[in-house]
Amino acid sequence: MRKRAAAAAATASLSVLAIGWLVGTPAVASLQNTLGGSATDATVSAAASAPAVSTPTATATAPAVATATPTATATATPAAAAPAAGVTGTFTGSVVATRFGNMQVSVTIAAGTITDVTALQLTDKDSKSVQISNRAAPVLKAEVLKAQSAAVANVSGATYTTQGYLTSLQAALDAAGF
Amino acid sequence: MSLDTRPLRLQQRLPETTHTRRQPAPRVNPNYPRRMRLADTLQVLCIVSVALAVALFLGSGGAARFGTPADALTSIGIVTGLVGTDLLLVMTLLAARLPAIDRAFGHDSAMALHQSLGKPALYLILAHAVFLIIGYALSSEVNVFAETWNMLTQMPDMLLAFIALGLLVLVVVTSLVIVRHKLPYEVWHIVHLLSYVAVLAALPHMLTAGTVLVAGSPQWYYWLALYVAVAGSIVVYRVVLPIVRSLRSRLVVAGVDREAPGVVSIRLTGRRLHHLQATAGQFFIWRFWTPGQWWQVHPFSLSAAPAHNSLRVTVRALGDGSTDLASVPVGTRVSFEGPYGLFTDRARTSPRIVLVAAGIGVAPIRALLETATFAPGQATVLLRSHSVADSYLVDEIAELCRVRGAEFRIIAGKRAPGAHSWLPGDAVNARISLRTLVPNLSESDVYICGPRRWTDEVVRDARSAGLPTQQIHFERFDW
Repeated sequence: MRKRAAAAAATASLSVLAIGWLVGTPAVASLQNTLGGSATDATVSAAASAPAVSTPTATATAPAVATATPTATATATPAAAAPAAGVTGTFTGSVVATRFGNMQVSVTIAAGTITDVTALQLTDKDSKSVQISNRAAPVLKAEVLKAQSAAVANVSGATYTTQGYLTSLQAALDAAGF
Repeated sequence: MSLDTRPLRLQQRLPETTHTRRQPAPRVNPNYPRRMRLADTLQVLCIVSVALAVALFLGSGGAARFGTPADALTSIGIVTGLVGTDLLLVMTLLAARLPAIDRAFGHDSAMALHQSLGKPALYLILAHAVFLIIGYALSSEVNVFAETWNMLTQMPDMLLAFIALGLLVLVVVTSLVIVRHKLPYEVWHIVHLLSYVAVLAALPHMLTAGTVLVAGSPQWYYWLALYVAVAGSIVVYRVVLPIVRSLRSRLVVAGVDREAPGVVSIRLTGRRLHHLQATAGQFFIWRFWTPGQWWQVHPFSLSAAPAHNSLRVTVRALGDGSTDLASVPVGTRVSFEGPYGLFTDRARTSPRIVLVAAGIGVAPIRALLETATFAPGQATVLLRSHSVADSYLVDEIAELCRVRGAEFRIIAGKRAPGAHSWLPGDAVNARISLRTLVPNLSESDVYICGPRRWTDEVVRDARSAGLPTQQIHFERFDW
């Protein structure tokens, strides 16, 4: 291999690696979110995760997002549809189909604060999925309570669970007008 | 007397024959810079494809997944799997007879690289399996055997992936030099074809079990495009093109001429053979459709420059199959893959040429001598043999040398036992080498064809004479 070719290969490879790293790093994804106007809170954007939120995800979740809003049902009537402040009640998110089973969560909001997230259905296609989602669900719940939104980091090793969980949660929050 | 040289430097005026119609004024081949640019491009693409495989992982947020031992092991497992598979695809392309690869590196070098990538690719894939099993076992808090069982029984497409791994191990083990020499070529070849099955069987688990190649993501599109491109190359260049060319050429055996005990020239005729764009020095992989031969293929070089409707090969009983070729009937249909190889005038970089052959390696040398570009007095042919009598095609070569004005030497004699040289023992003692045999060696391209170890010795001699790599061309015929 000639020196010139080796130099070109090294430069190109490093560029490719750098681009891959930037695409996969939360800081950049949060920048994209900020530019898109969806994340406003500094702590939330820091926790926002690239694969869970910003990349086009599995085809399994794509139709689920489309049906999210209509199927989300509220078990308690929100005080007002549009203003978020002071919402109280329990809201059930849509059922999100993933490769490893269906996911559905409900969210409890008290006076505009997320106080609880309950997993109604978790990925259960096999014992591996059950084990993964059982591990991920408490982590996700804690993150959501901390961030007060569905913009939280991917739980590593449980990408599908995370995506399904957060998609269903977002549908519930949308229904609450939160 | 063991060093018999027959200088035949006849500088007569050349008659107007077909093979001297070329411009005799020597020129440095303008092809070389273009060929090196192509080679550079292919090498860069190959290395960047490895970087891309790692970038796929990083792009899915992989850099953040090294926090716990379980995550770190899982992440390493994913990266080794991606890079290993990328190398497998590169290997497959190297064996796909892509015209660009043959033009840039030649079949020989491409296959040598293919061979040298085999073990690293297997080790990466094995590491992929081991790291992921340990990583998963750690996160599920079970032992590795239980985790392996869980993966096999509960994860999608994992059974196929384990089968693919088993096939890969089988393919690489049968290709180890020590094993391969004990197997008939056909058995090795059939086992080797299983690597296609392995690469395909491994695909489903990459798409369903991982989180890197999520359906619809850019990663997913890239990976599938890579697979489609590689599979397409195999189908087009290893299956469709050879069949179409064989059918179009309608090649049949026109005659078998006995050259020496155990050595025959097979003349083949067909139609529109110039469409193959074969050149002297190239080889084809032949299949003779007789009841006892059709299941065997033979890589043979052309032993004469290809003509519009005829080709010729000269073969010796080397493997099991070559023995019966002496009795192949006239009219036998012949199918082929090829032409392949860069052992041609296209690889030239210098005005002078030196052709060195031993044994049946004389065949492509004889073809090259017919059409290579050189002016009278600027070519040397060296034939190495045990005794003056056991060289092949000597009369033809002597005649071509006379007509084209090349110097011709037969170097006969037994090798000194234990000596590492391509020359006879007493020639070594007399300090004879390529440099003393060939005038103006530094301005020459050296073409070497012979048995593997002998070829290596000539290459070593040429290198020690200070000849740069691009002026040394060789083809080993015992693969």
